[in-house]
Amino acid sequence: MNRKKGDKGFEIANLNRIKLNSKQCRIYRVRVNDLEAAFIYNDPTLEVCHHESKQRNLNYFSNAYAAAVSAVDPDAGNGELCIKVPSELWKHVDELKVLKVHINFSLDQPKGGLHFVVPNVEGSMAERGAHVFSCGYQNSTRFWFPCVDSYSELCTWKLEYTVDAAMVAVSNGDLVETIYTHDMRKKTFHYMLTIPTAASNISLAIGPFEILVDPYMHEVTHFCLPQLLPLLKHTTSYLHEVFEFYEEILTCRYPYSCFKTVFIDEAYVEVAAYASMSIFSTNLLHSAMIIDETPLTRRCLAQSLAQQFFGCFISRMSWSDEWELDQIVAYELKTGGVLLHPIFGGGKEKDNPASHLHFSIKHPHTLSWEYYTMFQCKAHLVMRLIENRISMEFMLQVFNKLLSLASTASSQKFQSHMWSQMLVSTSGFLKSISNVSGKDIQPLIKQWVDQSGVVKFYGSFAFNRKRNVLELEIKQDYTSPGTQKYVGPLKVTVQELDGSFNHTLQIEENSLKHDIPCHSKSRRNKKKKIPLMNGEEVDMDLSAMDADSPLLWIRIDPDMSVLRKVEFEQSDFMWQYQLRYERDVVAQEESILALEKFPTPASRLALTDILEQEQCFYRVRMLACFCLAKIANSMVSTWTGPPAMKSLFTRMFCCKTCPNIVKTNNFMSFQSYFLQKTMPVAMALLRDVHNLCPKEVLTFILDLIKYNDNRKNKFSDNYYRAEMIDALANSVTPAVSVNNEVRTLDNLNPDVRLILEEITRFLNMEKLLPSYRHTITVSCLRAIRVLQKNGHVPSDPALFKSYAEYGHFVDIRIAALEAVVDYTKVDRSYEELQWLLTMIQNDPVPYVRHKILNMLTRNPPFTKNMDSPLCNEALVDQLWKLMNSGTSHDWRLRCGAVDLYFTLFGLSRPSCLPLPELGLVLNLKEKKAVLNPTIIPEAVFSNSQEEEEVDMDTVHDSQAFIYHHLNMLERPSTPGTMSVHHAKGWCVI
Amino acid sequence: PTATAGAGGSGSKQDSTPEDNYYLAWRRRLQVVVSSLLTEAGFESAQKASVETLTEMLQSYLLEIGRSAKSYCEHTARTQPTLSDIVVTLVEMGFNVETLPAYAMRSQRMVITAPPVTSGPVTPKALTARQKKSHPPHVPSHFPEFPDPHTYIKTPMYHEPLSDYQVLREKAASQRRDVERALTRFMAKTGKTQSLFKDDVSTFPLIAARPFTIPYLTALLPSELEMQQMEETDSLEQDEQTDTEILPLHINMDESSAEKENASVLQQNASLSGSQTGEENLIDNPYLRPVKKPKICGEVN
Repeated sequence: MNRKKGDKGFEIANLNRIKLNSKQCRIYRVRVNDLEAAFIYNDPTLEVCHHESKQRNLNYFSNAYAAAVSAVDPDAGNGELCIKVPSELWKHVDELKVLKVHINFSLDQPKGGLHFVVPNVEGSMAERGAHVFSCGYQNSTRFWFPCVDSYSELCTWKLEYTVDAAMVAVSNGDLVETIYTHDMRKKTFHYMLTIPTAASNISLAIGPFEILVDPYMHEVTHFCLPQLLPLLKHTTSYLHEVFEFYEEILTCRYPYSCFKTVFIDEAYVEVAAYASMSIFSTNLLHSAMIIDETPLTRRCLAQSLAQQFFGCFISRMSWSDEWELDQIVAYELKTGGVLLHPIFGGGKEKDNPASHLHFSIKHPHTLSWEYYTMFQCKAHLVMRLIENRISMEFMLQVFNKLLSLASTASSQKFQSHMWSQMLVSTSGFLKSISNVSGKDIQPLIKQWVDQSGVVKFYGSFAFNRKRNVLELEIKQDYTSPGTQKYVGPLKVTVQELDGSFNHTLQIEENSLKHDIPCHSKSRRNKKKKIPLMNGEEVDMDLSAMDADSPLLWIRIDPDMSVLRKVEFEQSDFMWQYQLRYERDVVAQEESILALEKFPTPASRLALTDILEQEQCFYRVRMLACFCLAKIANSMVSTWTGPPAMKSLFTRMFCCKTCPNIVKTNNFMSFQSYFLQKTMPVAMALLRDVHNLCPKEVLTFILDLIKYNDNRKNKFSDNYYRAEMIDALANSVTPAVSVNNEVRTLDNLNPDVRLILEEITRFLNMEKLLPSYRHTITVSCLRAIRVLQKNGHVPSDPALFKSYAEYGHFVDIRIAALEAVVDYTKVDRSYEELQWLLTMIQNDPVPYVRHKILNMLTRNPPFTKNMDSPLCNEALVDQLWKLMNSGTSHDWRLRCGAVDLYFTLFGLSRPSCLPLPELGLVLNLKEKKAVLNPTIIPEAVFSNSQEEEEVDMDTVHDSQAFIYHHLNMLERPSTPGTMSVHHAKGWCVI
Repeated sequence: PTATAGAGGSGSKQDSTPEDNYYLAWRRRLQVVVSSLLTEAGFESAQKASVETLTEMLQSYLLEIGRSAKSYCEHTARTQPTLSDIVVTLVEMGFNVETLPAYAMRSQRMVITAPPVTSGPVTPKALTARQKKSHPPHVPSHFPEFPDPHTYIKTPMYHEPLSDYQVLREKAASQRRDVERALTRFMAKTGKTQSLFKDDVSTFPLIAARPFTIPYLTALLPSELEMQQMEETDSLEQDEQTDTEILPLHINMDESSAEKENASVLQQNASLSGSQTGEENLIDNPYLRPVKKPKICGEVN
């Protein structure tokens, strides 16, 4: 199974050279129409900068890398494998006849693209649960067979896999037949995919899978690893509803004749969708007892199914059209109601020529992962804006049109020129939007797709009693990074005593003030109900209001039709009214965030009321918990009564007769389950006048743990218990240290002793009765790190390192690694940094490697402007090597390494390196003595410019073709000082 | 070496309870001791009565030492007499202790082998509680007697059972906690541990992390305990459901809509399960089809 050998047939009508993508493969021979053909294999991304020069600046690297990637970019007609068409066939080409390319290749011990999971136990491969699957970031099919690795080159496929008789090979298209080999030890799976599909959407999974045919739809088959069948049954039990929903809303049948879901271990990403099959992480499987994982898993399943329509069936024309597919998928999720709430965020620098990023955005393979996730967020937002503009009905019509065109095209078997209908491009998409809706959304696209950044509004108002007018002032900040200017309409909603009124303001460049006439007089209508936006009429206690003003609250851009961040000033009572009576969830959350600044008894009351209101959205209530904790801390000297939320929790979840004992768990109502989980976590954040967690709260949480009884519950309480440990960790405050004494057991704080007792017991019980996904172990590890950081327990990474070893569940490993990363930063440990770097290079699980880099970037041991003992030449070399050649088998990992390098050293040459300008290689100590820190940026800056020019002339010979591309790329004008800035949008959780 | 051996032999046979036998055996041993002492002192023969008297004296003397030594040892709150108890006893009885070692080491002493110890089995007495009941008039007298009253008499206990909710919860919680604590401590003691404090390994012993060969199995599969629990709660729920399902049948037609819904759901379920079982063999899925045999033919390229 470690070796894959295959023959591939391609139909290409082209010039005298054929370029294909291929990585890692060993190619034996190539034949074109049965004639031997010469070929050259050159993969410039293997080692980005060939020079072992002292060139260590990221600018140079990024340019070289972008050049290398575009040198093999299939969309530009390039590839690693260049086949020379034999001269005998040239006339065939001229006659536009079909050429058949035959490639014999093998793949030995692939490092990327295909991932092997082979547990180290006794037995045959099948008994051990060994399996393999294809994986990768974006178009990565070239890692396991030569192909045109692009989403825009479609063809039909015939696939054959010969595997051990105990294994199942799952791949794209219809399984035509399964045949034993002659010795009956192996069997061959024959697949046929008649719908034109891009090579990048081809995938494979082989393993001793358990097979489950969906009981509702027999053409859908689910696969999972041995012993997990019961979980698979439950997890996939509702998938038919998603199918029905999509088919109904798109008024279009599911495009493929079958659908396969495969759940595998050590997944690269949680969901990967390919033509007619999706590969999932096995960790998404869950039993009926698990609450928290269910919505997440369902979302993943629904997403993968949406990607079957858009992404696999309809593929993108080019990378710059990616935003659309992402959007559509995300959009469908939202309308699918699978998501409880759409995700918002902002910031995309797409197609922005004046980019100040440390990586090229021309290729998906050079993107930072962070950028990519933000990109997806923004794509979703833009799609929502379009929907707002043209209405959902039209939007669905557009989708339907795209799909029906594509399905007509796909049925045209021998007219490959028709297949371009199956690709979608930005312009095509916009065209069909304007065709269907008759609306021009070009300005919208120009503002939000072509430009980056969000709009930032600062609003304040005054009420003019004489004129009965609301004087609104709206300022914009478009100078700080990540922002842009907005000119156009802006909706403002004013809730007055007589009802809610919408006003549309015209935002222009120099008009700041807007007068809005009020409808109601300020007089109080006694006993009159107040109409709300949604037509509801409610009684309000108006005593808190300003007697002169009829305004209850004001909202700017309530429909979120602009990607913006609003900071609006209104009085605390207005926020309180907004929280209590505005029915919009976003408005409620905005007011909760605003109320943090108003620690008054009235705010407290409003928040408590929201907490108790069962009709209120549970996430708003969860958010209110944390806000209440903050307010309580600000009011600590005047706070009366028991600690915040305690009496509320007691009333809601404790026994009537004995209020200190929590009821036996019953999680049938998910809203109250989430509230029950969150309240103690928020309560633990309370602090008394000495800035300690009140003893009463700690005892309360310990009692919750003590009396926790799940015997009568239908659901597992593992997430609940894990949150209780989080609560304990939240209650920890820094230890009072008397002249730096060593932390020992004897001087342990008695409260901490109690906490440690619980953590020890929980962590040990996990060994005997493990919880689902080891949530409790994860929480315990985090709590231990908190105790270490606060100086209660000696800081020591040994425990975490043992939990980070391969063989632990991935969630545990990530939590442990996070602690080690944190330790590396706090204790500036070179040893641990080395340990982490070794793991990045050697760990068997790609996801873990990616995650370590990610965590190191987020929580770096030092940054570019910092003086750190860790920052030395050896480290620079090591990281440089990692991103230059050590990560060539995984795009995502390489981009992660680039991110880390950027965080640690910045764009220009790392300051800890000796200056080549001086013509001398000085050692580190000398350099530090010589250089005046104030001149570093300047010196480095000029140096890097100079050096680049020099290096351009001396590019390595084999890279001659990169040279050309390098010149084509524009270079950022001001390296060194700029930083990546993802414009921060506001987030609704 | 006189006729002491046969003393009292015939008399003892009559009431040979084990205790008596035991007593007599020791008595004979003492007689042997007395006889040997007499021999040592130069006697060639002795009258049976005088040997008996000397034996009686020796026995009393030894008993007195034992009794007194026991008192001394109990006086100092011990249960086992020590050497010093014996010494004090002897001194108290007017014996010159210092002469004892020399006497014990005398050259002409005779050695008597220790008697074989045979402790007879002690049969416990049958428990008798009150009087056995006599037959009631309708039972003929040739029937067996009633068994001992304790085998059928019941004594009601007037002790308040624990029903207070708070106490019960408290008890359950602390019991579980104690069990968990004891169990984890035991596991920690018997295996490898990790510690948060370098100087202390016993206060917070953490069972050492042990990697699994297939980590996802333990992480994802519910434990047996949970499975059992799930079944229990499921059956509980079903009970509740059937209860509620049966109830509305007796109530008015107000509930008819709900009932209909129920009925339709039931029907659906029935049809579904029916179709599932019925069509099991009819499902046409390529992965369920049998694997084909390779074509055996000559056309090997």
